Amino acid sequence: MEVHFLVPDFYSMSILLTILIFLPTLGALLVLLARNNAGARWLGLGMTLATFGVSLALLATFDWHKGTAYAYESAGGSVQMVTAEPWIPAFNIYYRLGIDGLSFPLVLLTTLIFVLACAASWRIEKMTRGFMALLLLLETGLLGTFLSLDFFLFYVFFEASLLPMYFLIGIWGGPRREYAAIKFFLYTLLGSIALLIVLIGTYLYSRQVVPGGTFDLVQLADPAFQAKFAIAIGGAGAAVAKTFFLLLAAGFLVKIPSVPLHTWLPDAHVEASTPVSMILAAVLLKMGGYGLFRIAYPLYPQAAKELWMVMAIIGVVSIIYGALVCLAQTDFKKLVAYSSVSHMGYVVLGAAMLTAASINGAIFMMVAHGLTSAMMFFLVGVIYDRTHHRDLDRLGGFATSMPVYFGFSAIGFFAALGLPGFCSFVGEILVLLGTFGAARPDSLLRSSGLAHPTAIYTIGIIACLGAMLTAAYMLWALQRIFFGHEKPEYSELPDADAREIAILSPLAILALLLGIMPTLFFFMFTDTTMSGWFHLMNTAVNSVTARL
Amino acid sequence: MNAAPAISPFIPPWYILRPFAGEIILICTIAAILLVPFFTPRKSNAPCACAALIGLLFAFYAQLHVGAASGELFNGMLISDGPAVYYKAILYLFTAGIVLMWFAATSNQMRQGDAAEFFVLLLGATLGMALMSETSNLLMIFLALELASLPSYVLAGFHKTERLGAEASLKYVLFGSACSAIMIFGLSYLYGIGGSLQFADFLHHTPVDKSEMLLGMVGLLCVLAGVGFKIAMVPLHFWCPDVFEGAGIDIAAFLSVASKGAGLMLLMRVMGMIGVGDLAAEVAGPVGIIVGVLGAVTATVANAAALGQTNVKRLLAYSSIAHAGYMLCVLPLVVSGPRDTAVQAILIYLTVYMFMNLGAFMVAALVERAGAGTQIADYAGLGRRAPAMAVCMTIFLFSLIGLPPLAGFIAKLNVMWLLGAAGSGWWILVAIIAANTVLSVYYYAKIIRAMYFTTSEAKAGSVIVNPLGAGIIAICSVMLVMMLIFYATLSRVVAHFVM
Repeated sequence: MEVHFLVPDFYSMSILLTILIFLPTLGALLVLLARNNAGARWLGLGMTLATFGVSLALLATFDWHKGTAYAYESAGGSVQMVTAEPWIPAFNIYYRLGIDGLSFPLVLLTTLIFVLACAASWRIEKMTRGFMALLLLLETGLLGTFLSLDFFLFYVFFEASLLPMYFLIGIWGGPRREYAAIKFFLYTLLGSIALLIVLIGTYLYSRQVVPGGTFDLVQLADPAFQAKFAIAIGGAGAAVAKTFFLLLAAGFLVKIPSVPLHTWLPDAHVEASTPVSMILAAVLLKMGGYGLFRIAYPLYPQAAKELWMVMAIIGVVSIIYGALVCLAQTDFKKLVAYSSVSHMGYVVLGAAMLTAASINGAIFMMVAHGLTSAMMFFLVGVIYDRTHHRDLDRLGGFATSMPVYFGFSAIGFFAALGLPGFCSFVGEILVLLGTFGAARPDSLLRSSGLAHPTAIYTIGIIACLGAMLTAAYMLWALQRIFFGHEKPEYSELPDADAREIAILSPLAILALLLGIMPTLFFFMFTDTTMSGWFHLMNTAVNSVTARL
Repeated sequence: MNAAPAISPFIPPWYILRPFAGEIILICTIAAILLVPFFTPRKSNAPCACAALIGLLFAFYAQLHVGAASGELFNGMLISDGPAVYYKAILYLFTAGIVLMWFAATSNQMRQGDAAEFFVLLLGATLGMALMSETSNLLMIFLALELASLPSYVLAGFHKTERLGAEASLKYVLFGSACSAIMIFGLSYLYGIGGSLQFADFLHHTPVDKSEMLLGMVGLLCVLAGVGFKIAMVPLHFWCPDVFEGAGIDIAAFLSVASKGAGLMLLMRVMGMIGVGDLAAEVAGPVGIIVGVLGAVTATVANAAALGQTNVKRLLAYSSIAHAGYMLCVLPLVVSGPRDTAVQAILIYLTVYMFMNLGAFMVAALVERAGAGTQIADYAGLGRRAPAMAVCMTIFLFSLIGLPPLAGFIAKLNVMWLLGAAGSGWWILVAIIAANTVLSVYYYAKIIRAMYFTTSEAKAGSVIVNPLGAGIIAICSVMLVMMLIFYATLSRVVAHFVM
């Protein structure tokens, strides 16, 4: 009997992606063999650094001027370094990896954040080997999610990343860790089940278009395929497509997380340890945003377009609700957690408005939030390590007692609140510009007759209010922590040490660089892919209007 | 086969016996085990167990050697075809695993000298289950079912001094006899209508009027009751948790896979014949709907009942009922098509299920042997006391939930998209299975939570894992990962048998 092994092509550079994904798995196995806790720590740090190095090596091979279409490089598109090995031939499932402008920034973000998280977990003494191994397994799951181009493979990695996180919260968390872990698990599992139903449904319908069906995410998004696929599901905007889109959106909105599916996030963050919180906020939430852009929108573009209002309202409500809840927080960590809900709302809003500016803003926002939230959660961790509480009302006067820490905090807070010159500003302003831009008569939503300018303006104005609220809660928190009289009980606290500075510096520098030179550090990677992506959404619209 | 000369049905030549080599080896082994105590110096248990193990491995090898060959015996009373050969192969392998489990975990609970009876009964039940998978003769169905059941009753109460075991055995007997009685009543109807002991003759019979049709349906339902008892289909599942709790853990593990598998194989054969028989137009629809609905109900009731369990053995009992429910959901497709893929899906599910259940029960057996008990609370801190074992248990439980990257995921997914492809009405079953999966997370996670998130106070001693037990657990967990990565190979092997 012929046995098929999954052996990728060793003679092309595409093997880099496989190495990138499974290097942390190898690291996890090695860490388990480490002799003591220190060995496990250094090994974990070494493996994440090696993974980061491989992802930097991708810079050398990644071609950001590849074709402008959302297609494989062989077809003149921007998706490159493709590996496609048959996995389960009976269902046309492939081990299919590839990278493009949509996934590349997130891959770099992931590998960087994991290095920093490893450094941030230096103080973990409880079952250190297990912690490091789970951290590395989580990295495999996340990188696999961002690099898979096969729906099935994506789902496997998407789910596989759930398990390590469950243990990381549940074993190394705070007092209510069990509750937080199971809540996180059940919420995301519920989302995954929605995803699974669409996975099955999409595959079954695709069999009417391609013999044997397909899970190929790029092929599924192809306009020529979409035209036939729309007929198979009974119309591009028909009930089936809308249901599938909503299920996909629900699955990803749980991860993002958006109101009203966000309630697991504050619990998970408050209970999780600092490095786990950094990863959760900086990378795990991005799986949701990435899923929207990679799967939900390209696979069901017409349904997505017709349901723009639902997505936009979810986005705006998340922005405003998250910010309002932040205003009421006294727990520093909970405040940062809810600010994630608010910031990720811009991603959903940007996707919903479907203008060139808003989608670019949305993906920029993902990376910007990845940097600022990791920084913020680490700042929370630093203060918690010293004072053993996070109560904003009991903190105060740190500006004089911990000047270096205050300096980094100021950068973190201002970057997160969207001050011009820092990264969040670029994302927010692009999303807001794009939102108002959608009111122009030639915008995608207006030209297809789906949106009324009044509705768009209303949404845009409310979203702007969110930016104001963000500034309010951030500045108020900054004031409560750092200003006021120096409290005697905190006067002896040491300032940030070398390890903490080493973790905060790259984040601060990147937050600044991305804010000052967004094109050089970001849009150069994403431009071709996103214009191809945008063209895809346009084509889907045009083909429908042409039929009318 | 048509070139064969006219022969007496009771003295078949060797080549006709080939597909039944496994059963013949089992019969010889049973005889051998009875003789073993006479030749071993002391009254010791190990030689009998070794004999059983060797016999089972031989039988497994014979099945593999036979491949997908099919054959008939005794004028069609026994029909061995591809699916039956495959099922028998995994049944023998699994029972060999049970014998190993006995060596690793439960042998110390048995009095010296009892092993001969124990293994004769175990192999007898195995033989009955093998026969269940290869017959559609009404008499043979009943005989095979009884051959599988009667030794099981005794095995459930094998530790006769224990109150729980005796109670379980009695419950099992009472429930089983009632179901057998109902079944034989139904079989008499089918015989009366068809005029022959062959189920095929019932299907070829043209019904005289509506009332005869109705009688036929009643007969089929009664047979379903008898088989449903073996599968622990709701509402005939009440024996299952009690027996699992009361019986030795090796017997619970044995019943959880082998008994359910045999019942499913029998149903699969019967329903496959209904689907292509002359009565297909009248009977196939209702039978399919009834079985599908029962499958959904079984899965839902079992998962709901499992939520409140605190005993691991009872919890695994409900889990096994739920998994039988998922497999039952696919059975209607055996009637209405696509027949071959549905059969494949069930066989793949059984294979994966065998590994995850053997692993989970093995861990439970080792924990019980270490004196920790069978309550979920007894698993507290296992993640620290026996880290490797706890990791493997986590793999088994996640696979039972159906999460990637483990084989339980693809087995369940296979079921789901087969149902999804069958048409819009079947989407209800897909949704029910999906909802059940979410429900099941809660109770499987209870064990995981106990192992990792809680610390034990009293049971500080570490669980001693012997090499044999550790080996079985390791093999099962590696298999669960491998069967996902090399799923294509697994499905090709199964397809080779089914096609």
